[in-house]
Amino acid sequence: MYRIPSRVLTGALALLFLFPLVWAAVASVSPQGGTAQVHGWGLGNYHTLVHYQAGIGQYLLNSTAVSLMTVAFTLVVSGLGGYAFAMFRFPGRNALFLVTLAILMVPYATLLIPLYVLLNDLGLQNTLVGLSLVLTMFQLPFAVFMMRISFEAVPKELRESALVDGCGSFRALRHILLPAVRPGLVTVGMFAFLAAWNDFITPLVLISDSAKSPLPLAVANMRQQVMGIVDYGATEAGVVVLALPCILIFLALQRHYVRGFMSGALKG
Amino acid sequence: MRLDISNNTRRAIAGFAVAAFTMTGIAACGGGDDKKGPAAAPAAAGVDGVDDGSPLTLWTRAPLELQAKALVDAYNGSHKNQVKLTIVPNDDYVSKVGAAAGSGDLPDLFAADIVYVPNWAKGGLFADLTDSIAKLPNADKINQAHLAAGTYENKKYVLPFVLDLSVMFWNKDLYKQAGLDPEKGPTTLQEFKDQALAVQKLNKPGVYGTFFGGNCGGCNVFTWFPMIWASGADVMNPDGTKSLLDGTAAKQVYSTWHDLQAAGAIAPGAKDETGATWVAAFQQGKIGVMPYPATLLPTADKTVKVGVGPIPGVSGGGSTFVGGDGIGVSKDSKKAQQAWNFLAWLMTEKAQVDVLAKNNTSVARSDLATNTYSAKDPRVSLINEIAGRADSKTPVAINFQQAFNAPGSPWVSLFRDQVYGNGSALAKDNEAITQVLGQ
Amino acid sequence: MTVRSLPAVAADSRPSRRRRWSSALAGWGYATPTAAFVLIFFVVPIAIVARMSVSDWKLFTGDRGWNSGKNFQSALDDRLLWPAVWFTVKYTVVTTVILLALALGLALLVQESSRWTGLLRTSFLIPSALGLASASLLFYALYSPQSSPLLGFTDKPISFLGTPVSALWSTVVLIVWRYAGFYMLLLLVGLQSISADVYEAARLDGANRWQTFRRITLPLLRPSLALSTIMCVTGSLLAFDQFYILTKGGPDNSTITIVQLVYNSAFQGRNDLGRAAALSILVLGALLIINVVQFRGLRGKED
Repeated sequence: MYRIPSRVLTGALALLFLFPLVWAAVASVSPQGGTAQVHGWGLGNYHTLVHYQAGIGQYLLNSTAVSLMTVAFTLVVSGLGGYAFAMFRFPGRNALFLVTLAILMVPYATLLIPLYVLLNDLGLQNTLVGLSLVLTMFQLPFAVFMMRISFEAVPKELRESALVDGCGSFRALRHILLPAVRPGLVTVGMFAFLAAWNDFITPLVLISDSAKSPLPLAVANMRQQVMGIVDYGATEAGVVVLALPCILIFLALQRHYVRGFMSGALKG
Repeated sequence: MRLDISNNTRRAIAGFAVAAFTMTGIAACGGGDDKKGPAAAPAAAGVDGVDDGSPLTLWTRAPLELQAKALVDAYNGSHKNQVKLTIVPNDDYVSKVGAAAGSGDLPDLFAADIVYVPNWAKGGLFADLTDSIAKLPNADKINQAHLAAGTYENKKYVLPFVLDLSVMFWNKDLYKQAGLDPEKGPTTLQEFKDQALAVQKLNKPGVYGTFFGGNCGGCNVFTWFPMIWASGADVMNPDGTKSLLDGTAAKQVYSTWHDLQAAGAIAPGAKDETGATWVAAFQQGKIGVMPYPATLLPTADKTVKVGVGPIPGVSGGGSTFVGGDGIGVSKDSKKAQQAWNFLAWLMTEKAQVDVLAKNNTSVARSDLATNTYSAKDPRVSLINEIAGRADSKTPVAINFQQAFNAPGSPWVSLFRDQVYGNGSALAKDNEAITQVLGQ
Repeated sequence: MTVRSLPAVAADSRPSRRRRWSSALAGWGYATPTAAFVLIFFVVPIAIVARMSVSDWKLFTGDRGWNSGKNFQSALDDRLLWPAVWFTVKYTVVTTVILLALALGLALLVQESSRWTGLLRTSFLIPSALGLASASLLFYALYSPQSSPLLGFTDKPISFLGTPVSALWSTVVLIVWRYAGFYMLLLLVGLQSISADVYEAARLDGANRWQTFRRITLPLLRPSLALSTIMCVTGSLLAFDQFYILTKGGPDNSTITIVQLVYNSAFQGRNDLGRAAALSILVLGALLIINVVQFRGLRGKED
């Protein structure tokens, strides 16, 4: 009997959550003063994006490159690392694991300033590769943890048989175990992609060349136009371009996103 | 999954730490010393530098987009070298240049708000241009205020890029409606107050007497300092280490604005205005009279009938803040000689008159102050003339940005207290400014 | 380095020496990339920042030697430090309380599995797909004094970001929108681990909904709430993106957070990396203490 009002209420709540995104999409094509789209509906704001400095194509490319590199580095490092922690005993194993987790304890700000200096010395300053390496490091605690428990969750019989059958540990990894931990890999890859795509403060500090900025930084810079009128239309269009890939990935891989939460340790 | 931290683990962690600490030595050594000085001295290639089709990079702040684009387009169209222009939001410019400087990634050329130039010249961000400037044919006619700001330890580092002067703008139509003479602007602070109040009395919806950037340190340095200078006083000591903003003339300025605020003659958005949109309201025809950047004359003319006059002091006089940007070759440039080619061209009549003056921007050479374009518009001639007056200055202080322009600087606290508060904290705020200046 | 003896593997008998060696070698081989990353990009920077904090290390001039405690002194003397600390703490408390209360409510709302709740859950979660910077930019446009749809409700012009109080609450709204789904998910996991039998027993004992909630759900949810609190507190104490984009610390420096102060010290005119390093070490220290206290406090009540 309480069903209908409760559905109305909860439905309203859901709509409230969805409202900002819907508004951004609608506003980016609607007429507004002070933007490139003053009269009538159209894609004027998106034109602004295309013609701003290096053009949105370049920034999209930067973001994609950084995100894909981060995903690649993260998967390789955490895949191998998780395998090591789960399946082998070696001196320093616990120490290394602890230090990796300790990354979570240290604030970004504390690390970014010395990283700025360090990347300089390594010749990686102001490069997308350097940026990806740093973003990978920030992903390692979650990624290595996820991969370790993924490998540990593989049934013992499968593990034993893989190692005993005479193939080396690497072949075992490639042919038997990696397929077994694929869901974990997808989760790790997804989180790494979203984190790299959306990171703001790291490129703010480490990238000087505007042409190399990833998209969030570029859209934030785009707001201040000459002579003071802030171009909100361009901002709205920028937000749509930023958010769309994330929302699509999220909807497609929702299962894996949720799995990241259910990874056992969170239950206490 | 319980993790016992055994002794071995502790030792391993300690091993990590030691290894890391020793490696910091390497990082420390890789410090700033090897980052000074461009590849080849600009002067070595002669007075005009080198034009060999090199790509050059130039950074400038968003407020100068119009002039910068015009200059770059004109240069690219007539030279083999091609300049790629990057416009940076005003608020982010300082940190962006700082970060690039620290990592050796500055562009070939970059412009700097003239008040930051002393700090950056001291920091070694610019290449030494003393010899190159000396070779220029009209070196002694170049705006001295800008050159002086860019001089550190007797070496010159910048040339004027775009001069931005502050002048008094008034809306001729609103003046007529308020019964004021549309051809005469305020000649004293009192007249400024009276004229603003007169426009306010019109009680037109959305229209206000005046406006200012109530949260914008840079805007009010630009517009209020000339009021103090025109009154014959100064804002800092010659060294730029002590603030004199508690002087009698300064107090008059504060009380003028305070009274205007109390009478409701300042448009409400002023209180939150951090500088992003402080020029918008006048262009929309909503403001009677306010001190304003002269570079925006052509833009404002599109929508408003603008009257122009010098910024007055307490009992007359007229002054302007010789602001805008200086431009120099960066320490990281590998093409200093080609970059110099751009700068040398910038000082020629072609650039100064045919590009800058054409866009109603003041020229940087005093011998070009009267030119074909300024002759067309008496207001422009007037602006050029004000720039040359004795009371028109560019303040120089190493810590200028921190004391005045930075968000939340002590200067912002000072004038906000004067206008919106009861003004009792003047001594304290002034002392805070002195402290920052003296760092 | 000596090889530690292996714990006995269940069905196997003592593994051979060679097996142990090759196992250790293989283990190190696979762990090397991780070790390299952690060493180069984490441990070394920590050592660098420690060294920076006691050196005269400016942005333009590099390391110029030891400075003893001057950087720490300078950081503590900053007239903006204590206001920033106070604001950050205030912001943290407000955000954590509101966010977790809402997340708990949402979790309770969607804990039953059905098509409708599945839809609800996705709607609440979608904001979490956005990055924090993207969400901040979205709200920056939403709060615009010119074209905001939220302005239509009153005649007076509302300034969302123009006064210290409104700027704080506007940012809290942004964060709650962005993270409610995330924490809802965390708490859902905890809720679903409570077995139905417990509720059944409570119902048989005649407990009403409120009593069930207080006496059964909440205590059993403690680990999830503890984890959520720790994450929310840590995240809020380190807030940067949203304030940098929405207010840049204004109006009047009223919304400067600690991390923004570190950034400003390093790059915004001050250009003093040593001082920024000192400040960030103070932040690290404070964070460690707070987390240890929270950990003990929230975990200790268990069992």
